[in-house]
Amino acid sequence: MAEPATDLTFDSAALLASEEHEVTIVGRSPWYLAWRRLRRNYLALASLGLFFVIVIACALAPVYAHHVAHTGPNDVHVGEKVRVDGKLKDVIGGGSFYDVNTGKFVVKAPTYLGPTWWHAHGRFVLGTDNLGRDVAVRVLYGGRNSLMIGIGSALICTFVALTLALLAGYYRGGCDWLISRFFDIIWAFPVLLLAIAISSALAINGFHHFGINIEPGSLWLPTLVISYVLIPYIGRPIRGQILSLREKEFIEAAIGQGAGPLRVMFSDLLPNIVSTVLVFFTLIIAANILTEAGLSYLGAGVRLPDPSWGNLIASGQDQIETAPWLSLIPGIAIVLTVLSLNIFGDGLRDALDPRAKVRIER
Amino acid sequence: MMVAAYGVAANKSSSAPNKAYKKVGTLRAVLDTIDFLDPQQAYTGQSWWAMWNVYETLLTYKHVDGPAGYQLVPGLAQSMPKISSNGRVYKFTLRPGLKYSNGKKVQASDFKWAIKRGFLATGQGVGFYTDIAGAKAFAAHPTKGGNISGIVVNNKKRTITVKLTKPRGDFLTILALLFAAPVPSSTSTQILNGKIPGTGPYRFSSFDANRGFTMVRNKYFKPTKYIPRGNPDKVDVSFVSDANSATQRVINGQADYSNGAIPPDRIANAKGKGHLVLRDAANTYYFWMNTREAPFNKLKVRQAVNYAIDRSALNRIVWGGLGRATQNVLPPTYPSYTKLKLYSHNVSKAKQLINQAGAKGAKVTVWTRQVSDAIDAAQYYTSVLNNIGLDAKLNILPRATYYSTIGNVATHAQTGWARWLEDYPHPLDWFDVLLNGNRITNTDNNNYAWYSSAKTNKEIEGLKKAQVLTPAVNKRWATVEKQIMQQAPWAPWSNRVFPEFFSKKMGCIHIQRLYGVDLMRLCRK
Repeated sequence: MAEPATDLTFDSAALLASEEHEVTIVGRSPWYLAWRRLRRNYLALASLGLFFVIVIACALAPVYAHHVAHTGPNDVHVGEKVRVDGKLKDVIGGGSFYDVNTGKFVVKAPTYLGPTWWHAHGRFVLGTDNLGRDVAVRVLYGGRNSLMIGIGSALICTFVALTLALLAGYYRGGCDWLISRFFDIIWAFPVLLLAIAISSALAINGFHHFGINIEPGSLWLPTLVISYVLIPYIGRPIRGQILSLREKEFIEAAIGQGAGPLRVMFSDLLPNIVSTVLVFFTLIIAANILTEAGLSYLGAGVRLPDPSWGNLIASGQDQIETAPWLSLIPGIAIVLTVLSLNIFGDGLRDALDPRAKVRIER
Repeated sequence: MMVAAYGVAANKSSSAPNKAYKKVGTLRAVLDTIDFLDPQQAYTGQSWWAMWNVYETLLTYKHVDGPAGYQLVPGLAQSMPKISSNGRVYKFTLRPGLKYSNGKKVQASDFKWAIKRGFLATGQGVGFYTDIAGAKAFAAHPTKGGNISGIVVNNKKRTITVKLTKPRGDFLTILALLFAAPVPSSTSTQILNGKIPGTGPYRFSSFDANRGFTMVRNKYFKPTKYIPRGNPDKVDVSFVSDANSATQRVINGQADYSNGAIPPDRIANAKGKGHLVLRDAANTYYFWMNTREAPFNKLKVRQAVNYAIDRSALNRIVWGGLGRATQNVLPPTYPSYTKLKLYSHNVSKAKQLINQAGAKGAKVTVWTRQVSDAIDAAQYYTSVLNNIGLDAKLNILPRATYYSTIGNVATHAQTGWARWLEDYPHPLDWFDVLLNGNRITNTDNNNYAWYSSAKTNKEIEGLKKAQVLTPAVNKRWATVEKQIMQQAPWAPWSNRVFPEFFSKKMGCIHIQRLYGVDLMRLCRK
């Protein structure tokens, strides 16, 4: 092997450079460097901003419902009228009726109050659905439910996947085999089908095992179901990284110095994968929101009449010709949320480790 | 109860019968779904709509429009039966020369085999025939060689004698159900969709569970006074579950007829692009309240619910107004029907009753099934219950398991959505099945309100013996209905009318009151 042309190290090179230019080189932490890279990515920051706007708007849904729209998300206003620009309009008008004089039905399509755009003192800003409920209030409450499930299940899923990956990667052997097969079993089922199957099984009586009592209709059910079905999608790639790290000298050294399993896992292994986990966490929120939307669309997620973006799209389907806003508005909300999270997640990945290949592959 | 979106009564035809009709050739129909095409198994309106033209029963109904469609007439039987004075023995004679679509001769013993086959295959309609002497014993240990002693047949004389353990006023209508259609005694007990030969004007020539089925003329069929030869030479039926797509097929000219429930917003638009016929079917949509479970064990709470529901508004939001608001158990197509006006819409009174009952804040779970109209109705109902002071939440179950779940005593279901579409035109099909406390069972119970009143039960049992629905009998049924609704185990809210959609090329559209669109009498313009 050829000798190196110079035996300069980075430290000595920095010293030389500083002497030459009389500049002090300040040590930067990886986090600072990542932030510096991230803040140059305006698209990612704008996406993060958009996501926060959506989260704050949805969090304030009760305030909006109480003080602006003056109605709850499930309050039915059929048969009522509302003043729009000074004119009284039916919340739900038209519809067929039985004419007692002729003894026949007069066939007419029902009409739903469209978006009033603040011309009705904050009532029905985005119009009404077929039951005369305020769409704006339901979209905000729906977003609240969708985000709570998306973020909640991402936290649970990431925590469980990380714990299992650390155990599998550290202990290897039988423990790794067992955990990997567990991942394989879940992986073998299509995500949505598995989620529907579990949700349907829990639909009638809820979950009452291991001291955990969850009633049917609780948001905890879709949250836990989604957490469970997505565990391998984070657990498997992280396990791979940990297995690779486990072979490194610094781990051998730590073990050689008498470090116990917990210390090695949490002090040596975890800090080296935290950036990957962070990126996964961001991306899995988006995936979970989509899964929740799919489940609720199919009637296996958030239970009606409680709204979620998925079940709002499903409910609006039958009125797609006469009241397209019913499906369109929650659809746009999902697109903006998922898009903002994915763009930010990509930006975060580029900032933390540009060479990393972090993807949620389904 | 027929479990699909299809009622079985009729309004007057939309167009007068046209003697100079053009030949139909092949009729292309679109159905949303069926369950079976096996007479001992099928129990949906869609299946019966087709099978009525393939399988004949001892007695049947006329191919006419309006109330006359409820009249029982001889089918395979030569004439109406002789009934013993105690109302327990029925004697029939088969028409001579009857043949199945495979050319084999129809035997009197085939009727007995059809009833036995129902029990052997756990058919959906066996419950109707348990009053035949020996049927319960046979049902307990069904074997191919076993006997139902109450059915005595003579193949030579073509006679069938049916003996009952107790008189049943609705037994003739029960014999007219397709469950009792004779099938060749060589027919296996397995479910054989579209493969069992029948005696009607058509036979099934193909069946694909996912795509549809085809019916062609039965060359061995001979028309009778009551069963004509059909107009179409062939009927091609496709399954299209999406109502929008089904409607579009008719508009595009790809189908002549669709039974799919047109979405309310499309109805007005669709009517200009084809013939829209509203079929007045015998059905009642209602919310049941479990009289054994709090807070609905209190009369005032049940009455409050009845006062709180705006029935007209509910009809409008669920199917765009294509339904009549009702407070009755029976639909208005019945002669026993007397319009009840016990509960006018009054939310204040409802709130007052809830307070008086001490039920304010009581937790309630509303049950419904995963079908859009049931979900819409139940969402409205949940909102109403919350509005009057209860603490209601909604539980939506899959379509397939809904009725068995709420009909199980262990579920302790408090209240929820249900509907009833007649099996046969008799008040017993409503009051006996749905509200007779003597018939409550711990599983598969149809009395979802678990309603039992000694007085009402006794009256229903007494009325079972009435062989004919005379004005006096009808009056007694109306009294029973009023008694029940004063106790408010139900909050009935709609008698729905079903939109039937035909292409512009179709004429002679006729509605048979029990079986719906009479495909045999359809013609092209």
